[in-house]
Amino acid sequence: MRRSLRLAAAATALGLTITACGSPAPEVSADGGGLGTAENPVSIRVIANDAFAKQWQDQLVPEFNKKYPNIKVSVDGVPYNDQLPKTMLELTGPTATYDVVLGDDSWIPQLAKTGGLMDLKADVTKWTDPGYDWADFNPSPLAAGEWEGKQYAVPVRSNLLLMLYNKTLYKKAGVKEPTAETTWEQYFKDAEKLVQDTDGDGKTDAWAIGTYFTKDPLTPTIWQTVLNSNGVALLDDNLKVAFDNETGVKALQTHVDLLKYAPPGASTYQFNEPLEAFRQGRTATMFMWGSVYKGSAVDKASTTLTPEEVGVTTLPAGSAGPGAHRGIWSAGVAKKSQHPAAAWTWLQWVTSKEGEKFTGSAFGTFPARNSSLDGTPPAEWAVPVYKALKDGYTVVDKNKMWRPRLPESDAVQQILALQTSRAMSGQATAEQAIDQAAKDVTELLKSKGYQQ
Amino acid sequence: MSVSTPARRTGAAKAPVRGSGNTPGRRFRLGEPGTAWLFMTPALVLLAGMLLYPIFYTLWVSFSDFDLALFQPTGWVGWKNYEAVLKDPGFLESLKVTGIYLVIALPLQMILGFAIAFLLNVEWRGRGVLRALFLIPMVVAPVVAGGIWRMLLDPLWGVVNYTLGLVGVGPVEWIGDPTLAMASVILIDTWRWTPFVVLIAAAGIMALPGDVYEAAKSDGATRRQTMWHVTLPLLVPVMAAAFVVRWLGAVKMFDIALAATKGGPGNSTNVVNLYIYEKGFRGLEFGSASSMATLVLIITMILTYFLFRISRRLENRW
Repeated sequence: MRRSLRLAAAATALGLTITACGSPAPEVSADGGGLGTAENPVSIRVIANDAFAKQWQDQLVPEFNKKYPNIKVSVDGVPYNDQLPKTMLELTGPTATYDVVLGDDSWIPQLAKTGGLMDLKADVTKWTDPGYDWADFNPSPLAAGEWEGKQYAVPVRSNLLLMLYNKTLYKKAGVKEPTAETTWEQYFKDAEKLVQDTDGDGKTDAWAIGTYFTKDPLTPTIWQTVLNSNGVALLDDNLKVAFDNETGVKALQTHVDLLKYAPPGASTYQFNEPLEAFRQGRTATMFMWGSVYKGSAVDKASTTLTPEEVGVTTLPAGSAGPGAHRGIWSAGVAKKSQHPAAAWTWLQWVTSKEGEKFTGSAFGTFPARNSSLDGTPPAEWAVPVYKALKDGYTVVDKNKMWRPRLPESDAVQQILALQTSRAMSGQATAEQAIDQAAKDVTELLKSKGYQQ
Repeated sequence: MSVSTPARRTGAAKAPVRGSGNTPGRRFRLGEPGTAWLFMTPALVLLAGMLLYPIFYTLWVSFSDFDLALFQPTGWVGWKNYEAVLKDPGFLESLKVTGIYLVIALPLQMILGFAIAFLLNVEWRGRGVLRALFLIPMVVAPVVAGGIWRMLLDPLWGVVNYTLGLVGVGPVEWIGDPTLAMASVILIDTWRWTPFVVLIAAAGIMALPGDVYEAAKSDGATRRQTMWHVTLPLLVPVMAAAFVVRWLGAVKMFDIALAATKGGPGNSTNVVNLYIYEKGFRGLEFGSASSMATLVLIITMILTYFLFRISRRLENRW
């Protein structure tokens, strides 16, 4: 009997411990946690990408606090590849650690599907500033935060895959600078000349291209752009694979062929490596997110180049027009947040005209608002960049240049990343890789209930 | 509550405890087993919470559908996840990759570790410093080790290729070539874990009984004979222990592969734990990932059982 009592007591203690771990979040007050006072400031936490989290914490938060001194904001940076799973676990957990979550372009449907994000046009309207101008957003970046008719996130860091080029290396090679009209055929012709010996020591020291080549979910965005610029989407309107054809094989082969004109070891290039090579003047072109322009051409601490040396335009054109790829970082408010009013206030400020002006000038972040895009750029260097950006927005809208807008988007990108890597390393031909990717994506979508 | 030996307990039954005011029969005593259980309870609760609960939870998830919205397993699906996993070519390939890695890395680390330990056992100036330096790789975080080696092996900027270039070799695509990528992962893992084997081996060598060597010497044994017939047989238990510990560590390796190659190119360095990690925490397919983890646990337990048996047999043989 005594033994049973002991066992029961131990089981109860364990049960209570486990139950305590999973207790639900407390109810949010009617004022959404308020905006704080000098005596009782409100604290909110933001989960962001580590590429810009520190900038935000060090510069953006103090700027925000000039207007809202009683909202304390902590920005936590997470590496890109860990951010989606961490955010998913955060949104599905019993309590909210983070009040504001950031997601890359293709993640929003997956994050929204958890039910852990607020609809910013319905759930937080009582805390929306009357002056917050929804209509001023360019439709392209705003669409990145929308899913199934609801606005779950707003664009905090707009971006496009663009081509940055080193004018000095083009001049040395005797090649005409690229424009929005440059075709892939022309680009490859130029690439041969752009692999060159610039100091005359008999050794090649500059190459034509640096971009994503390694096994990474962002790597397939390069050949997806080629595919889209030839008028073909990854999935058709019925969500069936549409790239398992000659255009798809040609697009992947184009990406693989770029490797011939890239520096040694480029097959391992992810985000940082092509940036370094370009900023050191080793590559003539770089297919990269446009937001790196300031760090590659302006900031002396991070680049050897100057704004006069660095040009920017869309990726080479296919049969349907120039190439670009949408990559908007959007941010939403967690439903389990205890301070949704403060969280939404922070987001409204960051995405306001004032906030965009600050991030554009301090970090070189691209704006999402038409008034910012059409207005005076924050600096001289930004004039050609904003032009390329506007052209890019038009192009991505026209040819639907984005990753699939599905909760399974990341899983699709993982499949494409694996097959792209196999093609890059010679483990499969472009045809075999496309064929396998098509089968795997179809299988994945079928297993998730999509009619295939 | 009191802790008491059986003898004291007998005494206590005869006379009331001074100043307690209670009769001996009414006093609550746990006795020795009870007291032992009482002291062990915190450890048992911790063990149950930290070890058994995750194992049983993983098992539960592996037989269920995992609802991401509720973030808990819902609905019993039987063997469905296991069937899917056994048909998954990626999982089977990752098992193969893990096998290749283990077959090459473990013997390499054991041979190098014991060879270095023998060298460090010989008296020479500066061996203490070297022994201390050997500890450095062990305290470097695996992700940092992977990242640093990635830089060292970079064909354009890396010091390894620069050095090879001085003698006309390269540039070598260490991480970009599927075969060399596996070699690189093994190299990084060996750099990191050989010192651990060195430590264990050095401790074993230092603990060898001197009188056996004196006996061997007086019997006229040569150095080679002493090595083969005295040192190595005496070290078999140490070698077996080091091997089993390294095996258990190596079988769960994924961090170095994640940092250095991300399992690529293709699947060439996609070890099984990296595959499970990606499936679970990136793909959020917790049902499949739990089934894989359970299968790997079973395979590891079976292989560990045989390793223990082999090591025991080797110990008895000598």
